[in-house]
Amino acid sequence: MKKLLVQNLKKLDFIVFSIYLILIVFSVVNIYSASYHEFSNLYIKQIIFVIISLLTVLVTTFMFNYRWLSSISFYLYVVGIALLVLVKFFGTTILGAKRWINLGFFQLQPSEVMKVVMIIFSANYIASSKLPFGIRDFFKLMLFVLLPFFLIYSQPDLGSGVMIVIPVLVMVFLAKFSLRYILVFALTFIVISPFVWSHLKDYQKNRILAILNPESDPKGTAYHIIQSKIAIGSGMLTGKGYLQGSQSKYYFLPEQHTDFIFASIGEEWGFIVSALLVTLYLVLSLRILFIGKETKENFGKFLCYGVASLLLFQAFINIAMNLAIAPVVGVPLPFLSYGGTALITFSFMIGLVLNIYYINQKETFQFYTQENEDY
Amino acid sequence: MRFNRFSFLIFLALIIYMILIGRLFYLQIVKGEYYREISNRNYIKVFYSNPPRGKIYDRNGVLLAYDVPTFDLIAFPYIVRENYKIQELKSILKQLFDIDLDPKNEEVIQKNLLPKITIKKNLSQKDVENFYNYNYLLKGFYLEVVPKRIYTPEANYLPHIIGYVGFPTKEEVEKNPDITLNTLVGKAGVEKIYDNLLRGKAGQKAVLVDAFGRQKRVLWEKDPEKGNDIYLSIDIRLQKIVYEEFKRSGHKSGAVVLVDPNSYQILAALSYPTYDLQKFYEGFKPEEWKALTEDKYRPLLDKVFNGRYPPGSIYKPLVSIAALEEGVITPDTKIASGPEFRIGNYRYRNWNKLGCGYINVAQALEMSCDTFYYQVGLKLGVDDIYKYTKLFGIGEKLNPDIEKKEAIVPNREWKRKVLKQGWFFGDTVNLSIGQGYLSITPFDATKIVVPIANGGKVLKPNILSGYYDNKKQMFVKTIPEVVRNLKIKSWNLDTVKYGMYLVVYGPHGTAKALRNVPVRNAGKTGTAQVYTYSRGKKHAKWELRDHAWFIDFAPYDNPQVAGVVFIEHGESGGSVAAPLMASILRRAYKEGVFEIK
Repeated sequence: MKKLLVQNLKKLDFIVFSIYLILIVFSVVNIYSASYHEFSNLYIKQIIFVIISLLTVLVTTFMFNYRWLSSISFYLYVVGIALLVLVKFFGTTILGAKRWINLGFFQLQPSEVMKVVMIIFSANYIASSKLPFGIRDFFKLMLFVLLPFFLIYSQPDLGSGVMIVIPVLVMVFLAKFSLRYILVFALTFIVISPFVWSHLKDYQKNRILAILNPESDPKGTAYHIIQSKIAIGSGMLTGKGYLQGSQSKYYFLPEQHTDFIFASIGEEWGFIVSALLVTLYLVLSLRILFIGKETKENFGKFLCYGVASLLLFQAFINIAMNLAIAPVVGVPLPFLSYGGTALITFSFMIGLVLNIYYINQKETFQFYTQENEDY
Repeated sequence: MRFNRFSFLIFLALIIYMILIGRLFYLQIVKGEYYREISNRNYIKVFYSNPPRGKIYDRNGVLLAYDVPTFDLIAFPYIVRENYKIQELKSILKQLFDIDLDPKNEEVIQKNLLPKITIKKNLSQKDVENFYNYNYLLKGFYLEVVPKRIYTPEANYLPHIIGYVGFPTKEEVEKNPDITLNTLVGKAGVEKIYDNLLRGKAGQKAVLVDAFGRQKRVLWEKDPEKGNDIYLSIDIRLQKIVYEEFKRSGHKSGAVVLVDPNSYQILAALSYPTYDLQKFYEGFKPEEWKALTEDKYRPLLDKVFNGRYPPGSIYKPLVSIAALEEGVITPDTKIASGPEFRIGNYRYRNWNKLGCGYINVAQALEMSCDTFYYQVGLKLGVDDIYKYTKLFGIGEKLNPDIEKKEAIVPNREWKRKVLKQGWFFGDTVNLSIGQGYLSITPFDATKIVVPIANGGKVLKPNILSGYYDNKKQMFVKTIPEVVRNLKIKSWNLDTVKYGMYLVVYGPHGTAKALRNVPVRNAGKTGTAQVYTYSRGKKHAKWELRDHAWFIDFAPYDNPQVAGVVFIEHGESGGSVAAPLMASILRRAYKEGVFEIK
């Protein structure tokens, strides 16, 4: 029994798992701080979400086989789209955006679910296509990507929409999609982007403009950015101390427990911890990327690529936004921002990666033992 | 070296990582002192300034509503707590403003729970003087200007039309960047309808304040934009006459609307009884509020637009036009109209037991002959009556901004849907004298008389004569809009007008009271049955008495005013509603509101 446990634990990827643990514990600590002055019980909800998430990870790692997903990926996609359509009709509107379905005990955010569904679907799609990835397959896949993109974009939630597309592009890139085409698309994008600009909503334009010149419209959108800069900057080397962040505590910093949690961490914990946090995201993502590289079987490989790129981009864009070098697009920080759906789906992705590692280790191991017995 | 996609991605990730770490280093280490300074000792404060809301005038520039500033005493707890011991603070507040700090605010200040709190609302003149005189004693306090709406005594003649203002909810403020929690927004009446014109835009000023709450540097500023002044189409002189005459008549409940039939601008609109507008806005005492809401004459209900009542005989001019236009009768067609009319076993009586004799349509209007209209209505049929009612704009909101309820206009489909019954002949008979299921607002009654007075044009009603656009620096006038032209044949229209003339001047006319108006005019009485067996009998119970109606236009040849008097349970159009209209018009001409040409 003990031997079995040790054997199983040996097949657990410790880098991914321990970084994951650090992040979710840190999330409760900081959401407690960010909602401290509102006498809110958000942190209790977060503790419940964290427990559910941890169970999700353990179950997915040890009692699951990611390959099951391959056969049902299309149905998952259909369900994901159905949820997005549902939110259009029955969604709860918060601050002008319709993003949540109220389940009574829980506000389900279908766009978060769609992120993982899209990665599973695309991984299966690429794995079952001929590699290197061809242009026809690319266009077909893009149709499947653009449908959820526009559904989410119209909520309106540009940030999550972009987060649906980016992992797929990275996966396609790693599937050896012709560089010539990539170049052509990049050029086309540069040419048409002025037209896209003219179709952006005013508040979206303002947010992008606010980056370029924060003083132009301070209360509207740059307010977030200026306050976020002050919060982070005033943290200095070691921070003001836990629960001592005046920026966040006096309501200068808006959305401090969701999109701007990094700023409140920067204020209270300072440069050392903040830099460490950025590093943790980098290490976590790169480790997942390498697990993917070492996975022989394509579905698992591309799943890892997708998860790694989603994690890295979402974390980096959120942090860049907090540091006032990216537009405020409303992308939460994985694991740390408050939000049950996002935490659980990201945990499920971590579980998947660990499961991929686990299953492939087991198979390699069995393969070797069999060989040994032969000799 | 071959291009390795995997390494390329890792390279890309490392670059972004370096940028983020670099930026973090720049903000926290290089500029750390600077930002710590801002966040520790200097705070950014955003002050909002609310521009005055636009004034409301009547059509001749008589002021009805305007703003005055009031002052609230505001404190920043995080500054206050660093400068005072709590006892010291209490004694200062007590001495300067006679304020006993309430325990909740005390807790907020001591524990620094909120960024800013209101210590006292609506400071007196002396408080404000003290604030400025003893400014050096006050650290972390400032005065916030909060606008207050003042309604002039004239506005009390039309409280339902003016409506009221209030402060917006948090959700509304989040949705609209131009308003703050201290912006007055319209909640009802023209205050609400024309809120966009009246409101203006709040200004913002963000300043760095130091640890004493003093403003150190303005970071950004957005000027407030003043709201536009609006001019109602109401003539307050006329409104006053209407109110006073209604009051003098001694009736308890009702509505009067007077309009210009050529532009369909509302000149006066009274829903009676009224209430005190200023008190309503500032909040009644509980017992006053209770009295208002439980009053059986319902002063809070805007009867002009929100009350629905059976119109009775004032509906007959409309039915007459339908019958004439559809060729069911000609102006000269005479019909024997006895004391009662039978379908099978059902008898439909005339209001006058003597009957009317052998008469044409103009005479039928004069005598308000029910049996005439029973027969015409049956020939015409419910579909055509319905069609013409709709053409006149009844059962439709000709101006959705100001009209609140649509009339209930029954037809076969309506009855099947609502009552799950078929349409009977008897229903048509009732409908042809404006009884049965038909139910209209007093304002709808003007829709009958306006097209008759102006030669057949259905216009868009308006209550705004114009507004002064601050941005364009010009007066924007409301231009009359024709919704549709009914193209009523002139001889038919003249016949109906003549019938309405006879109502006042004919030997059998039902509204002879109008003869003493200094101009020739024409009208139609209506006594609408409320309770089946009430006809002609005086009921002890007010709620069961008939409604009294009178519609009128004047002068007869070139109408400049048209309107309706409605007296809820007033019993008789001819002897109750018509005399009130007569006294209103007589005074209006006498006092020069209308000129006699």
